[in-house]
Amino acid sequence: MGWSLPVIESMQKLNKPFVVVSFPDFESYAKENNIPFVSYQFDEWSDASNSLDLKDKLEAYNVDVAVPLFEETVEWAGALNSLYRDDPKVLNRAFLFRNKAMMKRKALIGGLRVGLFEEVYNKEGVLNFMNRLNQANLQVDGEEDSWVHIKPFASAGTVGHRLLRSKKDVEEKCQDDDFPCLAESHLSGKEFSCEAFIHGGKIRFLNITEYVKLGYSNFIPEGNYLHTKRDRIMKEMQKLVDLFGIQYGMIHPEWFLTEEDELSFGEVACRIPGGHILELCGKAYGFDALAAFVCCHDTELTEEELNELLPPLDARPTTFYGNVMIYPHKNQISKLIMPEELKEESYFLDHNLIPPLINQKVNSREGFGNHFGTVNFKGDDPDRMTELLLHYENVDFYL
Amino acid sequence: MQEGVISISNLESFDELFESYKSATVLTRGDKAQKILGQLDAWCNTIEGIQQIYERIPALDEAGILNDTPWENPSRLVPLLVNGTYKSGHPNSTYELLSELRMLALARGKIQASESMKEEAEIYLQEALVLNLEFVFNEPQEETRLMMSEHELKKVHSLFGFISAKIQLSKIKSAMVEELVLICEQRPVVTEKQRRIIALVNEKIELDPNDPADSALLAFQRSIYSPTSGTVGKTFGAYGTHLSGLTESQLEDESEQMSESMLAYGLVSTYHATLLLFLVKEKQYELVAKCLGINESGLARFNEYQEFVCSIIADVIHPYNAQCIYGLSKTLENGVLSRTAVRAGFHNLLTISLHPKVEERIIKSIGNSIGKVSPKKYLIGALLRILGQPLGIGQGNNPTCQSARGISMWSQHAPAKLIHMVHSAAVHDDLSFRFEGSEIKYSESALGLVQKLDHQLDAVSVTLVPMLDKIYNEMMRRASGRGEDPHKWVNPGLYGQWIQIGFASAYDYLSNAIVDFDGFLRVFYGMCHPKYNGGHRLVYPNPVGIFITTAKGEMLGFHAISLLRVEKEPKGEVRAYFLNPNNEGRQNWGQGITPSVYGNGEIHGESSLPIHQFAARIYAFHYNNLDAASKMDNIPQNEVDKVKELAKQSWGKSYIWLEIKKQW
Repeated sequence: MGWSLPVIESMQKLNKPFVVVSFPDFESYAKENNIPFVSYQFDEWSDASNSLDLKDKLEAYNVDVAVPLFEETVEWAGALNSLYRDDPKVLNRAFLFRNKAMMKRKALIGGLRVGLFEEVYNKEGVLNFMNRLNQANLQVDGEEDSWVHIKPFASAGTVGHRLLRSKKDVEEKCQDDDFPCLAESHLSGKEFSCEAFIHGGKIRFLNITEYVKLGYSNFIPEGNYLHTKRDRIMKEMQKLVDLFGIQYGMIHPEWFLTEEDELSFGEVACRIPGGHILELCGKAYGFDALAAFVCCHDTELTEEELNELLPPLDARPTTFYGNVMIYPHKNQISKLIMPEELKEESYFLDHNLIPPLINQKVNSREGFGNHFGTVNFKGDDPDRMTELLLHYENVDFYL
Repeated sequence: MQEGVISISNLESFDELFESYKSATVLTRGDKAQKILGQLDAWCNTIEGIQQIYERIPALDEAGILNDTPWENPSRLVPLLVNGTYKSGHPNSTYELLSELRMLALARGKIQASESMKEEAEIYLQEALVLNLEFVFNEPQEETRLMMSEHELKKVHSLFGFISAKIQLSKIKSAMVEELVLICEQRPVVTEKQRRIIALVNEKIELDPNDPADSALLAFQRSIYSPTSGTVGKTFGAYGTHLSGLTESQLEDESEQMSESMLAYGLVSTYHATLLLFLVKEKQYELVAKCLGINESGLARFNEYQEFVCSIIADVIHPYNAQCIYGLSKTLENGVLSRTAVRAGFHNLLTISLHPKVEERIIKSIGNSIGKVSPKKYLIGALLRILGQPLGIGQGNNPTCQSARGISMWSQHAPAKLIHMVHSAAVHDDLSFRFEGSEIKYSESALGLVQKLDHQLDAVSVTLVPMLDKIYNEMMRRASGRGEDPHKWVNPGLYGQWIQIGFASAYDYLSNAIVDFDGFLRVFYGMCHPKYNGGHRLVYPNPVGIFITTAKGEMLGFHAISLLRVEKEPKGEVRAYFLNPNNEGRQNWGQGITPSVYGNGEIHGESSLPIHQFAARIYAFHYNNLDAASKMDNIPQNEVDKVKELAKQSWGKSYIWLEIKKQW
């Protein structure tokens, strides 16, 4: 559910029967290229536009499992799957993924480490939350406020995510349309994400993505330090899977690991992650990560097929693949300049930056997905990789 | 890592990406191709990098990297577009680079090709080199430097360095001569193109006076750098001093040599201005006339208006402005200066102050050779050229053929009106036209066709064209929605009363088809072909709309030209002679239709085609609707059929054809 050419190509190569459900805009392209397609308005929920109606439309294609590709399709897929598996809990689970507050409560109940969090409805709510945090942290006069993050309940990635470092920040940065939203305390530690491919309730393959800078750069597989924590992470991951009752699919949670080995839970999604993570993952481990993502949702997938699709659990590649998502630093841009140093960089793999229109205005960035292009790197030393990614995030590609 | 050498890991990365590309379906090919281009772009800094790409070109070509791009088919490529494409940067410049390397691979047999394709490729490359000498010799023009980044400049320099190492210099010398001849034969008003080529040759290529192959290039060189025996080895300043020591007969000799040099190619050297100004100052009027190289009628007019002409020379000519001397000579020969109104116009122009915006545009058009010469002098100098060389007016790199042919028309038939327009535009940076009972003012009109004016134009065009363009578009807006081609009303409105009232369009708006093409052709022949129109000649230029087609005859777009005359040329063929404002001497419109600029009875600045070939490309023209009906039956059906067949097989394929008869 959702339109993605790379996913469609992977499915075509797999030779498994599939049908794409997405907005009517894509219908003509699908027809021209012989892609089985059903058009649907995901943003409408009414008597005429709902999961029962969609299920009817999909009868012709003998559909028995729905795979959500994007955030907005998660509840649709959940609704359909609950019908196919005759299990209403599937839909409820989908809703869990779509509300960050609900998700965190479930995690808390299940014994995962989360920070302090609360639904807030206005600025005052945020201020009160910050006060409670300060109290809990034994704040003395003159000390800095505890940091608070606010996030919309149901957006993907870093869309709408604000970091408030002080009461002043709350006054100045919060706007009326931010509310209602989730407020949470700052979680310390190294941030990273996992991509767990699950089948039959068990994690069949776990990828760890090392974040260099959230929203800008990351690399796969994880660096040496994180790698030493793999067992710890795997345990916590299985806990998460059992807790949420996930049987089939892939989940993409974000964690924070402190120096004392404490793992805190950030949030979790069950659709294709941003930042080109699956692309990097596929290259690093040598498998079709998109095909694997889709097929893990298939309850009837056999053991052999699984083994063919996924790398072994203990795979540890020696080459790291990383990327930087490029955002212009200026408000008006008219040229694309490739830095000389990049051309001579042996880790440089490729890029897909496009030149801007003459005097293009740049909108302020919001979350993953509207970067101007990506620069890809590949190399054997994860520390060097980290250095490079940090460096190129600050280089002006667009002037 | 060693500078300039591509690392093993980078080469491996390419292989990895290339494999991924080859196994991709049409769904993700585009994205992967972009990535490959990004990688290859990083290699282009050095000749070694280009070499690496060249080795992979057969594989890339076979994998279809150029498919679904404008570079897909090598036979459809035009060397003229290469320069602009490189200036537009990545990814287009990288595609262009791959295309050039593929062309080289075809020419060298690295990619399998027929003999004719090989030859085509070789010629293409020679032409591309000649048209990109600024890149071959790493001497980018000012404007180029502003448009291209360091990386892009290095890229083109490496590419052209690589190619020119593989193509014999002697081959491009003859291509250069051909290019220079093609340009100079048209006696264009703007001489930058040919001067640049000559300058680069002067700087970068050793020519051997004993080698007949080099003599043509040397002749061009001489006309700029040493037009007379007295100028050899001197700057124009030193030449000036030298002149004061010459005798009368030596001065006469210099004057004759100088004018001969100018008339050979229509190129004027700085020395010519020095000489002319000297002679005027010394009141050597007979020698002034000799120096101008004018014919009998020119001489008569010079004698009549001697004072006026000499004052123009003193006020306007300067060594940096010398090219207008040619224009001045031609204005004396064609008689435009004999008109009182014209002289009055000049007199007025000399007194004006230019509007700062106009000055800005003129300064931009001159580039960096401004200095002692004021923009006003350039403007009046350009005016002399426009009035003396009406067929040498060009649109430059702008989509402003409409405006260019207008200026040409007024220069020939309403010179005083043109001067008046220049005056108004130069002083107020504004222009007004009457259109269907109301006024259209430039300053109050919405956008024209031109987004960003390319300033490589003469000073008069750079002043007038932005205004004419907007006004023309405003007229088109007001005249649209009438169920017919708006040009029917706009041409007379813009150009004036010389435009005949009848308007014929092959395309019918209401039926969205070509209707009664037979009738259309008959009216056309009846309008201009001397055999069928009672032996009449065209009196005024006829603004004709033509279809532009590729070398394979496919529809490309529309263009505005002026039909000037239809006559039998020396070899007996009836040809159509027209003004093509794009000054392009090498056009190939497919089906063997290749307009020539010399050798077929053309006057300098005309292009020509056999009449039936010309007719096979027109889509609109004006005619005398009182006359038309009576002449239509004169034309033999086989002539009509011949033209119709050519039309149908080329641009005609893009349209529906209906045979219903129309009332013309």
